[in-house]
Amino acid sequence: MRFSGLRVLREGLTGNKGWAPHWRDAEPKAEYDAIIIGGGGHGLSTAYYLAKEHGLTNIAVLEKGYLGGGNVGRNTTIVRANYFLQGNSEFYSHSLKLWEGLEEDLNYNVMHSQRGLINLFHSDGQRDAFARRGNSMINQGDDAVLLDREGVRKYLPYLDFDNVRFPIYGGLLHPRGGTARHDAVAWGYARGASDRGVDLIQQCEVTGIDIENGQVRGVQTTRGAIRAKKVGIVVAGRSGQVAAMAGMRLPIESHVLQAFVTEGLKPCIDHVVSFGMGHFYISQSDKGGLVFGGDLDFYASYASRGNLPMAEHVMEAGMTLMPMIGKAKVLRSWGGIMDMTPDGSPIIDQTDTKGLFIDCGWCYGGFKAVPGSGFSFAHLMATGNHHAPAAKFRLDRFRTGVGLMDEEGTGSQHNLH
Amino acid sequence: MAELKARTACEDALPCEIGATQLVELDLGPITSVMVWGSEQDVSAAMKTAHGVSFPKPNRSNGTDATRCVWFGRNQAVLIGVAPDASLGEHAAVVDQSDAWSAVSLSGGTAEDALARLVPVDLRRAQFKRGHTVRTQVGHMMTSVTRTGPDSFMILVFRSMAVTLIHELKQAMQSVAARRA
Amino acid sequence: MRLDCPICGSRDRREFYYQGDAVMLARPAVDAGADAWDRYLHLRDNPAGQTRDLWHHEAGCGAWLVVTRDTVTHAVSAVELASDVKGAMA
Repeated sequence: MRFSGLRVLREGLTGNKGWAPHWRDAEPKAEYDAIIIGGGGHGLSTAYYLAKEHGLTNIAVLEKGYLGGGNVGRNTTIVRANYFLQGNSEFYSHSLKLWEGLEEDLNYNVMHSQRGLINLFHSDGQRDAFARRGNSMINQGDDAVLLDREGVRKYLPYLDFDNVRFPIYGGLLHPRGGTARHDAVAWGYARGASDRGVDLIQQCEVTGIDIENGQVRGVQTTRGAIRAKKVGIVVAGRSGQVAAMAGMRLPIESHVLQAFVTEGLKPCIDHVVSFGMGHFYISQSDKGGLVFGGDLDFYASYASRGNLPMAEHVMEAGMTLMPMIGKAKVLRSWGGIMDMTPDGSPIIDQTDTKGLFIDCGWCYGGFKAVPGSGFSFAHLMATGNHHAPAAKFRLDRFRTGVGLMDEEGTGSQHNLH
Repeated sequence: MAELKARTACEDALPCEIGATQLVELDLGPITSVMVWGSEQDVSAAMKTAHGVSFPKPNRSNGTDATRCVWFGRNQAVLIGVAPDASLGEHAAVVDQSDAWSAVSLSGGTAEDALARLVPVDLRRAQFKRGHTVRTQVGHMMTSVTRTGPDSFMILVFRSMAVTLIHELKQAMQSVAARRA
Repeated sequence: MRLDCPICGSRDRREFYYQGDAVMLARPAVDAGADAWDRYLHLRDNPAGQTRDLWHHEAGCGAWLVVTRDTVTHAVSAVELASDVKGAMA
């Protein structure tokens, strides 16, 4: 089933009776060439690129709940490539390029909107840091524009420019940054993978990983044993538990990140905006809701719900930056479980077990990485070699201390990101 | 050499009265941090002999407005109002912090209500009696709050945060007054 | 979430700073090797359930605490002074 304008028109005139399910709800087979554990954004994109780029179609995605029911269905949907450090820069740059061709590639409307992202700065020192980041983005081949105060005012006249405590000095504009419709990304990849023969198996929780003589043999699940010589763990948020089934301990702590959405409003915030003096970022969804978030709750948690002091802090920061949103009513808040690594950068690597691969540690920035992560992880699983843009996401960098990517410059330590 | 004129931290902003609550700056005189390294009993005995107050238990303060010793943290108190006797130095690290702190007094019938908006500890009289003290936060600032009377509190923050403290307190006082009106 | 500080009493979460897994109390010897330091600094059990972690009563008495709590329900079952726990380890 292909989507097209003509098709939409025809279906509209004939009662929308011709639409078919977007993917097959498959039953597990006894054996596959490869198994992906985790049917979220990253798992589904890995399956899609394994099939599309590497011709591996006898594969299964095992999901314990429903497809796209984790963090890909609950995030602030920001897509950007404004990283500073080598290792991150080339990866997110590659991911953004995949985003830019994604809708045609998948024949699916993921509502990717390159509306521009503006990171505000509030001091001379911050301006220098953002200028440097902007240069680094340009060197990577991406786009960045340093705006002064008046430049920001043209884009974002509604900010509180009279705030004396956190004066707006300017902003770093990343014109190709923006947002996408988070669920649609999962659905689009699911459909693309399923169409190429990938089995998407829901309600199938992995309960064990079978390893013989240092080689992975398959997995035990709530729907029986499934054999495979290659297994990829893509379960950010729960990575520790699944890795433990293979006898591994990971450099990961799970933390909660909250996000909020208001009632639908008329268009008022046309970009993605982040505050440089309090953790706060905001955009407006196509439905009209203001979607915003802040920092981690800052203690290890699997509770999937946030604490009140952080909610209060996010609201305070929002009101400080743009008082006009004060009358908007918050409809929902939610807390996603984040795989936090010590240096704040992710892991795409093989493990000490032959045939067992892991893609995890996306911290609070996994959504924009969905295409790049799947592409690079598929490359690694299919070829056994690291894909160049993700080659620095090594699991052993913490043990060796070589190649740490501490994007925030706070130190490679668990509680600092 | 130029004559420098001493100014207090809250000079331009206080006193003020909003509704039934008054906010005034306190001149506490010397403020000395006493951090016990030996035995707390020895420090307490030395302090009692020299200044007439003993070292307080956690969440408590001893003494009067003239000379007060306020619990300030684990194995730590501040001696307020008098210069410390040298004998304290035999059992504790004694450090002058007079200029590091800014102190205000919040008093009046609705003082509790104003503080309730800013401090995450129950400061109502049934729980928090005269002489009780807490180290906690007021807004986002670290603070020491002590009840000095039925309707009055002594609030300490770092001197650099004095104006922010006043701003926060005034807002809370205004909100409480508006509710009452 | 509230923590029952052994010194100050029951206090709001915002008075506390979170350090992380209480494994940090067992510092390896300087020459223990990369694996031991990796286990200490980076690798975590990260349980969905009962865990023990280090908190600092930053805005209160300043004590370091070992908190036993559930990461799924946020129920706190024990709060001890880190100095007591460390003393018992010696």
